[in-house]
Amino acid sequence: MNAPSSRPLRRVLLSTLTTVGGVLLLLGLKPHVTTGAAGAVTQSAAPFPTPSASGTSPTGGSSSASGTRTVEGDTVQTRYGPVQLKITLRAGKISAVSAVQLPDQNPRDQEIDNFAVPQLTQEALAAQSANIDTVSGATYTSQGYIQSLQSALDKAGG
Amino acid sequence: MSTTYSPRQARHAVAPPGRRRSPAGAVLLLGWAGVAAVLALWWQDTGAVVGPADWLIGAGRIAGLLTGYSCALLVGLMARVPVLEQGVGSDRVARWHASLGRYTGCLLLAHITLILWGYAVQSHTGVVGETTTVVLTYPEMVKGTIGGLLLLVIGLVSARAVRGKFRYETWYYLHLLTYLAVFLAFWHQLALGADFSTHPLARGFWYALYVSAAAAVLWYRIAVPMRLNLRHRLRVASVVREAPDVVSVVVHGRRLSELAARPGQFLRWRFLAPGLWWTATPYSLSAAPRPEMLRITVKAVGDHSAALIRLRPGTRVWAEGPYGALTADRRTRRKVLLLAGGVGVTPLRALFESLPARPGDLTLIYRARTADDLALRYELETIARLRGARVHYVLNQADGRSPRLTADLLGGIVPDVAEHDVYLCGPPGMAQAAYQVLRSAGVPAHHIHHESFEL
Repeated sequence: MNAPSSRPLRRVLLSTLTTVGGVLLLLGLKPHVTTGAAGAVTQSAAPFPTPSASGTSPTGGSSSASGTRTVEGDTVQTRYGPVQLKITLRAGKISAVSAVQLPDQNPRDQEIDNFAVPQLTQEALAAQSANIDTVSGATYTSQGYIQSLQSALDKAGG
Repeated sequence: MSTTYSPRQARHAVAPPGRRRSPAGAVLLLGWAGVAAVLALWWQDTGAVVGPADWLIGAGRIAGLLTGYSCALLVGLMARVPVLEQGVGSDRVARWHASLGRYTGCLLLAHITLILWGYAVQSHTGVVGETTTVVLTYPEMVKGTIGGLLLLVIGLVSARAVRGKFRYETWYYLHLLTYLAVFLAFWHQLALGADFSTHPLARGFWYALYVSAAAAVLWYRIAVPMRLNLRHRLRVASVVREAPDVVSVVVHGRRLSELAARPGQFLRWRFLAPGLWWTATPYSLSAAPRPEMLRITVKAVGDHSAALIRLRPGTRVWAEGPYGALTADRRTRRKVLLLAGGVGVTPLRALFESLPARPGDLTLIYRARTADDLALRYELETIARLRGARVHYVLNQADGRSPRLTADLLGGIVPDVAEHDVYLCGPPGMAQAAYQVLRSAGVPAHHIHHESFEL
């Protein structure tokens, strides 16, 4: 049987330190860089053929008289839901990226979409490729975005 | 002194029964296994931790999972499950509940702070705006917020420093709101917990945890007491003044042997009289239970105990129990020392009467202020005479100074104290001092059996 007396202060200190230390240890043991399929895709992403290099007529997607066409990427299943993009190409350059599907099962997903997707789009337009960084705090959505974007570019360049 | 309670000769003055192992170790192991399972669930379900938002949210999720787990545990610990109340001991379980409760309050605060902060960092918004969004638009979060706030208020009121400022009943009934709070907070865990949305197995585990806690409460706190009181129909038979501020209450009932109460145990008593019916108070049986009657002996320390002297015979009684592990099961040695301080003599009086012992093996030391304060004195002396046991009183000196309980004093009364099992019951200060003295006199810790309800 335990002694009726105990040292409360020492116990409080001990349990606090154990808990904080334990949580930090668990988090610390996890990888701290983004890995996975999207990472590999990004690494091997072929640069999108520049307008001058591509003399061929565009294939796939829909085109209009003004030389603008849209291509839909693959639907990529992420942990939180599907991601699918549609890109608009004008004169062989990506002029817009819009989302067909995004994870939207709960408000948290929508919140993440709201900050992550504009950032990813900005990066994609600047890079003119799928070779872009993931957005911190939206790892899964970023990976889905990059994969779907790459597939759209592959189709367009195909 | 009560004539109806003339002590009886113990039926079997034989060797002590084999010690029943305390289930405390197994219960603790089970509790920790649950913690491991919860952490494993988080581990298995978490990918990379990238950037400050992931660290904050990760820590917040661990805190949240542990809070949810320990809420179920807290409810389960107070469900009056026999293996806890009678095996581990009600006092020890209550202490577990109190320390786990304090810990859970801190976890809850950490969960709320870390999650909101992490979400705000992640979505590049302010903490206030993020809080509003989370509370108002996330599923089940209005309920979750109310539940969380209730839990924090209850935790605050239960904190040692604040608790004394409230009446016991206020604190007690506020505490019952915990059930509502835990129920309200349950749903956001399933709706928003990323670990539960993707794993049916994890969801099953969580439901099982909460359903078993709820079932234990419904069964052991409601169904079992109702059956007990319908079956035994307890009423006050008589009230006897034992000492200036000590009274005994004799309670009659039917088929009390089926209650299976053992000497050393207590029940929670609710006397259905004006001003008393809304409080259930634990009092030890002060005599071995008889087939048709039970007796408690109470010192007037609060409003409730002081009012017991005015109880009229015939008053209905609602009782719950028996609880407590300070019984003959704890014993492993032939010789037994019972060490009582003040009204702590009551459960020891019941053990003194009933513990199997040969003449000379049983000693009672009774610490009190004056000879007038020695409640149950004549009963104790009668038992001693009948059983060949010894009673020693340790009283204040004539000038009012209290004698220090020392190893020497103890050795003078019981020279071979180290060979004894010791049952200890008294006010917290006395019990603590006595424990230290017993240890220094060479009594191993696992041979000192005590019950203390001080948190």
